[in-house]
Amino acid sequence: MLSRALARSAWKGQSPVLSKFTLAKAYPAASITQSRSTASTSNLSNDEAQSILNAQRKLRPISPHLTIYQPQITSLMSGANRITGAILSTSIYTFAIGYLVAPTLGLHLESQTIAEAFGAMPDAAKIGIKGILALPFTYHAWNGIRHLIWDTGKMLDMKGVYTGGYVVLGLTGLSTIYLAFA
Amino acid sequence: MASLFRSSLRTATATAIAPRLSRSITATTSAAVKCTGMKNLGISRQAGMAKKGFHISASRKILPAGPQVIQGTVNDAAEIPDPNATHGSYHWSFERLISVALIPLTVAPFAAGSINPVTDAILGATIVIHSHIGFESMVIDYIPHRKYPTLRKGAMWALKGATLLVLVGLYEFETNDVGITEAVKRVWRA
Repeated sequence: MLSRALARSAWKGQSPVLSKFTLAKAYPAASITQSRSTASTSNLSNDEAQSILNAQRKLRPISPHLTIYQPQITSLMSGANRITGAILSTSIYTFAIGYLVAPTLGLHLESQTIAEAFGAMPDAAKIGIKGILALPFTYHAWNGIRHLIWDTGKMLDMKGVYTGGYVVLGLTGLSTIYLAFA
Repeated sequence: MASLFRSSLRTATATAIAPRLSRSITATTSAAVKCTGMKNLGISRQAGMAKKGFHISASRKILPAGPQVIQGTVNDAAEIPDPNATHGSYHWSFERLISVALIPLTVAPFAAGSINPVTDAILGATIVIHSHIGFESMVIDYIPHRKYPTLRKGAMWALKGATLLVLVGLYEFETNDVGITEAVKRVWRA
């Protein structure tokens, strides 16, 4: 305390700039109570504190996720199950709503029209389109069965999960090829 | 700009904390500063730290962070929902029932080679229920109520509306066209 006071008085004598900026002038209340706090504090209401906290929270970085993990068959197949499901469901929803509004929009989505248009395509396109449709369907179907086996409590150890995964991938490949050329 | 500032801060702090490191690494103000400081001193292996912490790099955003809002105060306990079998085990069992039912419903018409309008209608309804549950879980997972309360509500209602329209559309398809199974067969053999 004494050294701080000495230093202050020394500055007073040496620097004209600093002498104007004394503690007593800047913080009259602080100098009266002999407080030595150099940081200014003020009382905040609960709401004000909350809003500061909320503003600060918005600047926090996003927690690292997916991209920091090594790709593994377990996680990749889990993600693929959802993606293929979304593709299939979106297709059904799009077609059903499309069929409902087709007369209003003058579209022709009758099965006969679609079949005729599809039949007129070259063979390569037919096989390609069938394959694109068959892949998510077969994957989601086989992996769905894998999920149902898990739900009975079986194949839940690491070996079972991996074996099941490879079986699903194999069956998906084979059945996709079969359906593409069917 | 910020990174420029930080790198200068790191080197400055690295020299400042150097004498302390030999004793023990106690909590410093910033983990990033600590890590880089040690790397500069060549003792990162000794201290058992990773080469580069994920908190230093900034290049792995998939999507920007959603709004982060605190409900109530910081230390409120998480709300525990009332146990409800309709949202719990019954819901789970119902999901499995629908999934299991889809296997014979999908295979049977193609295996039997005959078309039964009732079976086809049940297949259509089951697919829609299965899809609705799937979309619902995606909305719950990707649009958390905590961050996007309005969007969550909107997405849920949009999904309900879409499902209703799909049901009407499939009803139209079943009554005016040949049904799902036969339509797929037609296109596939075209």
